Amino acid sequence: MESQIKLDFENFLNKEKFSSSQIQLKKNNFNEFIKKGFPNKRIEDWKFSDLNQIIQTNIKKLNFINSDIKKEDFEITTVKDFEHNKIIFLNGVILKVDFTFEENDKIIIQQNHNINEDNVENSLVSLNSAFVSNYVKFTVKKGYETKKPLIFYNYLTSDITSSALNIRIDIDLEDGSSLNVVDLSNQNLNNNFINLRQNFHIGENAILKKYFLDTGNSPNIKYIYNNLDLSKNSHLEYFILSSGSKFLKNDIICSLNNEYGSISLNGVINLDGEKHHEIKTVINHKDENCKSYQLIKCVLTDKSKGVYQGKIYVDNKAQKTDGYQLSRALLLNDQTEFNAKPELEIYADDVKCSHGSTSGNIDEDSIFYLMSRGLSYEQSKQLLVNGFLHEVLEKITDEKIKIFIKKLTGLENEY
Amino acid sequence: MLSIKNLRAKIDNKEILKGLNLNINPGEVHAIMGPNGSGKSTLSNILTGKKGYEIEGEVTFEKEDLLKLEPEERAHKGIFLAFQYPLEIPGVNTNIFLKTSINAIKKARGEKELDAIEFLKLIKKKSADLKFDEKILSRQLNVGFSGGEKKKNEILQMSILNPKLAILDETDSGLDIDALRVVSEGVNTLRNQNNAFLIITHYQRLLDYVIPDYVHVLKNGQIIKSGGPELAKNLEKLGYKDFN
Repeated sequence: MESQIKLDFENFLNKEKFSSSQIQLKKNNFNEFIKKGFPNKRIEDWKFSDLNQIIQTNIKKLNFINSDIKKEDFEITTVKDFEHNKIIFLNGVILKVDFTFEENDKIIIQQNHNINEDNVENSLVSLNSAFVSNYVKFTVKKGYETKKPLIFYNYLTSDITSSALNIRIDIDLEDGSSLNVVDLSNQNLNNNFINLRQNFHIGENAILKKYFLDTGNSPNIKYIYNNLDLSKNSHLEYFILSSGSKFLKNDIICSLNNEYGSISLNGVINLDGEKHHEIKTVINHKDENCKSYQLIKCVLTDKSKGVYQGKIYVDNKAQKTDGYQLSRALLLNDQTEFNAKPELEIYADDVKCSHGSTSGNIDEDSIFYLMSRGLSYEQSKQLLVNGFLHEVLEKITDEKIKIFIKKLTGLENEY
Repeated sequence: MLSIKNLRAKIDNKEILKGLNLNINPGEVHAIMGPNGSGKSTLSNILTGKKGYEIEGEVTFEKEDLLKLEPEERAHKGIFLAFQYPLEIPGVNTNIFLKTSINAIKKARGEKELDAIEFLKLIKKKSADLKFDEKILSRQLNVGFSGGEKKKNEILQMSILNPKLAILDETDSGLDIDALRVVSEGVNTLRNQNNAFLIITHYQRLLDYVIPDYVHVLKNGQIIKSGGPELAKNLEKLGYKDFN
C-alpha cells in the first residue's frame, strides 16, 4: 500500500494547486499518517475495531485519488416527508446548494481549499488533512434561527470503487443561531473507505440538532471524526442511527467550553449480517453548570458486532456538572458481540455523574405473553425490539424528523 | 370443548401435575382452587403453550390435539390466558399491541382485519363497559400500571379478543373490592352458551360474583374433589388442609 499511497499523494499535489505553505502542511500530515498507518487493535481507542484489518479484508487495493466525476450516472432522490434545505454532495464535493426556505445572507457557504495546522493525534485525521481539498465551510450568521432543517445528501457515483474519500465539513453556528441538520449517508454498492471529518462550533446561546443516519445496506467502510465545541449556554442534540454500512465508527469529541452548555447525545446501533459499528464519545466538561446525557441502544443479530466507548471527562473547574451515560444492548443470538467501555474521569468534587451498561437476550416470558395474544414469534420479537428502541427515538425533539427516522427504522406507529 | 386426560407435567425433573383429568363444555364456568404449589399456574401455562415442561397425557381442544400447537395458534383457536402477573413491555404502546393482537387473530381466522377507526370504536366501547380509563391505553403496555390496572387490562384484552375458552389465573389476587366487581362483571358480560371459563383462584370471593358451575380442588398435582359452588364455600371454612 505504501508505494501506491505515495504515488497517489504526489499526483494529488500536482493536480490540485496548493500554495507552498499548504503543500508543506499537507506533507507533514501525510508523513504523520505514513508513520502511524491505519489504526489497529493495539491502539487503545481501536481495541474493539481493528480498522487496519477491516480495510485489508474488505478492500484489496485502496486508491487515494479519484477520477473526475461523471455527473450523468446517478439519480437524486430527495426526502418528501418534510420541507427542507439541501446540500448535495457528490463524492464529497458540493454539487448543489439549496436554501430555498432561508433568508439571504444569513447562511454563508464557502469552499475552502486551505487547511490549518491542528494538533489532533489521530492518523485518520492526518490522512484527511493530507488529501482533503475543496471542503465546505458554512456559517449560520449571528442570531439567525433557520426555519427548516437542512439535509446533507451524500452520494457516491458508481465508478467510485476501492477508493479512499477524504471529506471535510466545517460548520459554524454564530451566537444565538440555530440549525437542524440531517446527514443522510452515502449509498454506494462498492467497497470504499470514507474518511469524514466534521468540525462544529456552536456559539453562545446557539442550538445545533444533528441527526446522522446511516441506513440501508452498503459494503462501505466509514470513519467519522466529529469535533464539536460548545460555547456558553449553547445546546447540542446529537442523534445517530448506525445501521447500513459494513463498518462504521463514529468518533465524537464534544467540549463544553463554557458554563451552562448542554448535550443530549443518543444513538441506535441496529445491525445484521457481519456488520461492525462503533460509537465512541468523549464529553469534556470544562466549565461549571454544564450537562451531558448519553443513551445508546444496540440491537444485534446474525454475526454483527456493536461497540460503545464513552468517556466523560470533568475538569477541576467544572463544578456542578451533570454527566450521565447509559448503553444497553439486545443480543438476538449467540454469535453477536457487544463491547462497552464506559469511563469517567473526574477532577471536580461537586458533580453528578453516572455510567451504566447492560446487555442481554430477548425476554422469553415477554415473548410468551405476546404470543399468547396471537402474535407469531417473529412479530413478538419485532415488537419487543421496537419497544427497546422506542426510548432512544423518543429523545429526538424535532417531531418531523422523529417521524421520518421512525419510518426509516420501521418503528413508525401505525396509529 | 376442552378435554384433559391424565395430564402429567414435569419441570426441571420435578413432577408438578400428576395425572390431571378435566372436561369443560361450552357454556360452563369451572373454578379450580388449591393451595400454593398445587400446580394451578402450571396447568394454565401448559394449556396456553408455555415452553419448558415435559408433558405426558392428552389435551384436546375442540377435538384437536392442543399440545402440538404453538402459543399463538392456540390464541387463534380461541384460548386466552389472563396472566397472574401480566408482563410489562416497555416502549410498546398498549393500543398498538391490542390492534396487532386482534388483527393477528382475525387474520389467522381468515376474517377481515380492523382498520384504525373500527379498532378505536371497539376499544372505546369495551373500555367504557369495563369502566377502564381509555387514556391508559395510550401508555406503554402495563408499564407503571397499578396491580389493579394490569388485571383490568387483562380482562379488557379478553373482552376484545372474545375467546372461546378463557383461563383466568388468579385474576382476583391483589384486586380491591371495586376492581373485583368490575372484573367479575367483565366475565359475566362475556359469559354465554358458546364459551367457557376456567377460573383459577385461591379464594372464594371472586366466586361470589362469578358463580361457577363446577368447583375443583387441585392438590399435589391432581384434582382430588369436584363439586358445585358450595364446595368453594366449604373450602373457605375448612381450608385446604382437611382435603386429602
